[in-house]
Amino acid sequence: MTWRREHWTADHPLPIGVTKRAQVGELVRAGDIIAAGATLAGALRVSGARRLGLSPSDLDRELRVRVGSDVVAGAVLARVGRRFARTVTAPIDGRLLHVTVDGDLYLAPIVDRWTVRATLDGTVARSDDAVVEIEGEAWCFQAAAAYGPDAIGELTLGVDGPDADLAATRIDVRLAGRIIVGGARVSAEVITRAHACGVAGLVAGGVPPAGLRVVYGDAVTASGSPSRDDRPTVLCLMGFGSAVLPRAVYEPFAALAGARAAIHTASARLFVFSTADIGRAETPSPDVVMGEGPAAYAPADRPLADADRGEGDREEAAQTDEELSPSPSDRSPSER
Amino acid sequence: MTVSTGTEAPGVKALGGVGVPVEQTGVALGRSLRVALVHGREEASRRAVAHLALASGAQIVTRVRATDPRSFVEAAQALRDAKPDVVAIQGGAKDEGALAELLEALRLGCGAQRPVPRIFGLVDTRVAGALRMHATPFEFERFAAPSEMVEALRDLRRGGNSDVVLRDALIEDGARALATTTGTNALAIDVTERSTSLVLASPDGRTEAAHFVPLGLGMGADHVVARASLDNVRRWLPWPIDAPALLERVWSRGRRPQGSASAEATVLLEMALAREAIAHALRDTAEAGLDVDAMRAAPSILITGRAASFPKPGQSLLVLVDGLEPSAVSTVFREPDEGRAERIAMLVPVITRRSAKIRIVRASGRSVARVVPGSFGLVAMGADVEVAVNGAGVRGHGRSGELGLLIDARGRPLMLPERDGERIPAVARWHAAVQATAEDGAST
Repeated sequence: MTWRREHWTADHPLPIGVTKRAQVGELVRAGDIIAAGATLAGALRVSGARRLGLSPSDLDRELRVRVGSDVVAGAVLARVGRRFARTVTAPIDGRLLHVTVDGDLYLAPIVDRWTVRATLDGTVARSDDAVVEIEGEAWCFQAAAAYGPDAIGELTLGVDGPDADLAATRIDVRLAGRIIVGGARVSAEVITRAHACGVAGLVAGGVPPAGLRVVYGDAVTASGSPSRDDRPTVLCLMGFGSAVLPRAVYEPFAALAGARAAIHTASARLFVFSTADIGRAETPSPDVVMGEGPAAYAPADRPLADADRGEGDREEAAQTDEELSPSPSDRSPSER
Repeated sequence: MTVSTGTEAPGVKALGGVGVPVEQTGVALGRSLRVALVHGREEASRRAVAHLALASGAQIVTRVRATDPRSFVEAAQALRDAKPDVVAIQGGAKDEGALAELLEALRLGCGAQRPVPRIFGLVDTRVAGALRMHATPFEFERFAAPSEMVEALRDLRRGGNSDVVLRDALIEDGARALATTTGTNALAIDVTERSTSLVLASPDGRTEAAHFVPLGLGMGADHVVARASLDNVRRWLPWPIDAPALLERVWSRGRRPQGSASAEATVLLEMALAREAIAHALRDTAEAGLDVDAMRAAPSILITGRAASFPKPGQSLLVLVDGLEPSAVSTVFREPDEGRAERIAMLVPVITRRSAKIRIVRASGRSVARVVPGSFGLVAMGADVEVAVNGAGVRGHGRSGELGLLIDARGRPLMLPERDGERIPAVARWHAAVQATAEDGAST
């Protein structure tokens, strides 16, 4: 259980239906939209190569629309011939989703849109239809487990001391968009109230498992439950139940309060973007001996970075929803 | 865990000693292998592919049926979210079209996954030829026999290191050895921190195995609760405990490796988890088409791992009886990870609706035990003697082991009282009856 300032990587899995995503090498900030796409409903299979009298391998050459593009009903998807042309047209409004090995086409209606935001300041190291991976430097605390979607917001102390529990009465809409440090324990009531008030995420030494099951369902386990849906985000720093935060853990929270932060639930990590002096050198802080700690933690296998360089030098205010800016790649294919 | 595969010969450790050295092998659970199951519309196909995954000790991350009601996009998303290392496919000729469509969903869902999933098919040659084309660009490997696919999956779990001996393979060896030695069917039950295994071996060397990961007493304890429900774990505890407190204790077990339990409360909690892990494994085993009735009727039963490492043999015995619910006379052995195998008891399940008499025959004479429905207790026999029993609906023979003869007339399936006021005393009595508590008790 340590605070470390290092280079980290954060994977951002993408749902099916990606429209645009940040490109490798692009600089992004936590909270930036790094991918956007469409939520698709049941897909229709449309005969392609067979209808055109082509071999499946030749279909690509005759496609008039790129796979992944949005189309309207009646749009020509593929066409061969001139005087006696044969065409494949879209039967519905939707997206050309997939081309099969047989040369058939899948079209799916669009029912919603989604976006994925970065949880780390840094550079896009990998970008494909399945995942966007970002590498960057930040203060990081490797927690025991995390639940809910990724969260980005201003780190805010919600308690007066490391042994205090976060009371539901301290949560109100003024804390919307923030990541609240809840001390030793947050209850299910606090979690649901915080979510209702628009709080981005909750961080606490421990969370009662019964409360987590109330919020996330009975199938949830101690290994966490990252998700994409609209649910509260909770980070259990030390374990479950109630866990008084050791000074070496709590004091950095006090020092980092007000900084931008992000919870990456898939890896159960809290990233804080600040160069604040939290009372230790830019090297890993000594391990805090905790009885309930996990067996091992694996930070990104990279050399320590020099913290005093580049844009990291200036203290940055937390980014709110209104300030979120799309990444440079957030353009329609036609604009590129 | 260190496994002795031979008897230490005299002089082995002496300088210039003679004899064959004891071979010592490192045993591991192996790499976690995530397997997605894709199968045909027939129930037999579902069972076959589930059996393959369970036999190989892989973690089943998703199942997709040829007649899956999910849409193409939903199936693709489910496969993407599952992040499988391997996709196991089984189906017949009439499933070819549906399976080909699911492979298209796999291409859409996992085409960008790194490393790319491999596809293992247990299909006939013609179907394999058709599916291979739809699997492009994934590697498609066809297996002619289930055992070949199981071995291939295990190779992946070994991570290419042939020196690694998988724990599940070792448990299967143990079951085979016991079956060969006793000349009867033998069941090995292994419950560890994060895995639970059931292996049925016959004297001719055949085995039916199911290995469940994660499902255990430490890092797999939360999965026991998630699958079996908290109430089903709590019902085995002989003291009242509120659900949130119990849940917190179970979840906290997964945060660090657990040593051997010594505190009574910890032992009793592990016993409760072990019962449900075994019971849940049996349910999944039955769904995969394995012969659970034969497992319950095995004349020899070996219990290993954490469930065999409880301080008292009666604790291992009680876990076995409650979790497995054996249906025939059997001799029970236990082998802790750091100890030798020992015969602990002979088990006599009696299913009767009225009082019955059981005749017990041994070299020193014969006796008659009167069995009342619902009774449960040990009959002292003397250490490790040959015993034959016959009576109302029960006949068999075995060896008594350290504890003697356990007569279980609680009925099948085993029903526990709903109310705490009735259930807790009953569970406490059962613990006392097999000397599984600090205070040794007599039979009830």
